[in-house]
Amino acid sequence: MKEIKIKIKDLTLHYGQKLALNNICLEIPDRRVTALIGPSGCGKSTFLRTLNRMNDLIPSARISGEVLIDELNIYDRNIDVVNLRKRVGMVFQKSNPFSKSIYENVAYGPRINGINERKVLDEIVETSLKRAAIWNEVKDRLRDSALGLSGGQQQRLCIARTLSVNPDVILMDEPASALDPLSTSKIEELIHQLKEQYTIVIVTHNMQQAARVSDYTAFFYLGELIEFGKTKTIFTNPTIKQTEDYITGRFG
Amino acid sequence: MERKFDIELNKLNERLVLMSQLIQKQVSMTLEALVECDVPLSKQVVANDSEIDDLDVKIDKLCQRIFALQQPVASDLRFIMSALKINNDLERMGDLSVFIAKRVSTVSDFKEIINELKINELTEKVDKIVKDTCMIIETRRTVFVKDIFDQAQVIKEESRLISSRMIEQMMEKSDVILVATNLVQILGQIERMAAYSKNIAESVYFIVEGKIVKHTQFL
Ligand SMILES: Nc1ncnc2c1ncn2[C@@H]1O[C@H](COP(=O)(O)OP(=O)(O)OP(=O)(O)O)[C@@H](O)[C@H]1O
Ligand SMILES: [Mg+2]
Repeated sequence: MKEIKIKIKDLTLHYGQKLALNNICLEIPDRRVTALIGPSGCGKSTFLRTLNRMNDLIPSARISGEVLIDELNIYDRNIDVVNLRKRVGMVFQKSNPFSKSIYENVAYGPRINGINERKVLDEIVETSLKRAAIWNEVKDRLRDSALGLSGGQQQRLCIARTLSVNPDVILMDEPASALDPLSTSKIEELIHQLKEQYTIVIVTHNMQQAARVSDYTAFFYLGELIEFGKTKTIFTNPTIKQTEDYITGRFG
Repeated sequence: MERKFDIELNKLNERLVLMSQLIQKQVSMTLEALVECDVPLSKQVVANDSEIDDLDVKIDKLCQRIFALQQPVASDLRFIMSALKINNDLERMGDLSVFIAKRVSTVSDFKEIINELKINELTEKVDKIVKDTCMIIETRRTVFVKDIFDQAQVIKEESRLISSRMIEQMMEKSDVILVATNLVQILGQIERMAAYSKNIAESVYFIVEGKIVKHTQFL
């Protein structure tokens, strides 16, 4: 087994009285793609958000347990959450570029981190766009508004924006669900390239996508982690009947 | 929950079972033609082959369609993968039947040799292994898998034993050379029939248990 990047121990989350995650224990391997699958409302997004403390923004959310990234509990008091979210970037289902130029979208994060020197910013923007496999499509229009890009391009721009602050973990919540097949395959190809350098956790409703892009798969149901294992095992011979029923579409 | 997809899978299963029944009939007719030296019956076997070829193509196409349109996973995937292989193995058993049937006329004048070698005892065993194989395709009762493996082993040993006795006879009496050569070939095909039964048993085991038992000693 690969080295472990994120270790989740007895993680439980309530929204008010409602139990959303029940005692989750999971080890996410370093520089691999882990897919989270499960029916709507089972807690995939909630779980994903616990990995960079995005749930802190939801007043009713109460959390217990631990999330260790590189052996450090991100729920410790002395953790700098802003810094954490730099290390653990997030890409959402709906691409959400700022209504600024393409360049400024990518330079935004580094600027906030105090980088102002033009040459350095140029370089960060270029490498981030290249890593997000969109450089060739935008290099001649960096000053144009990001909102003029297609949906698939906007999503890759958002990935470039996430990469610009040098994270080591990237969380993706249904990043391709609103995209056409060609843009989807570009995102999937990109994920494949990115895993050489980053640990990626992706939520997807598309079983084939989970099978194609991920090395490990976690199946959630009603706030519980039902099964976790190598993707090739989950999709050929899962251990638990509920997993089998879900991935073969027999659920319900 | 019943899925629309299950209609396709059921259809595939039905066709596979039908294929296995046709093959069982072919094999048993072939073996009867052989031990009874019944040339007209052997011609019947050859004539039946085209029906099997048609069904073989139908099953392949159905599998292809399911792969393309349904992207099967887990037990569905294992079933369709295995259906392709089982279909192929059954079709090959059909070809072996035709091969043997076509040679029945070359040995039918030598009933005493066939009787003396007790080929009927061997063919009864082949009938049984093929019948059991068809049974597990339909019922997926993997408890019988090991038994089919054992039967295949016995058939292999016995057919080789008979072949070597044939070869001894050839060396003693030159007038049996021709019939002996044909019988040795037929015995080789009979042994292969049992080997295909074993393959099919492995495939059924894979469908049910998700484990590959071929190339390994059975537990
Ligand atoms: N902010 C919130 N306040 C209260 N309950 C919430 C909140 N967010 C999510 N929930 C509830 O928690 C459960 C898990 O929701 P979550 O969004 O994590 O599911 P999901 O698996 O991502 O679903 P989907 O596939 O539909 O995106 C659901 O029952 C949901 O209604
Ligand atoms: Mg969600």
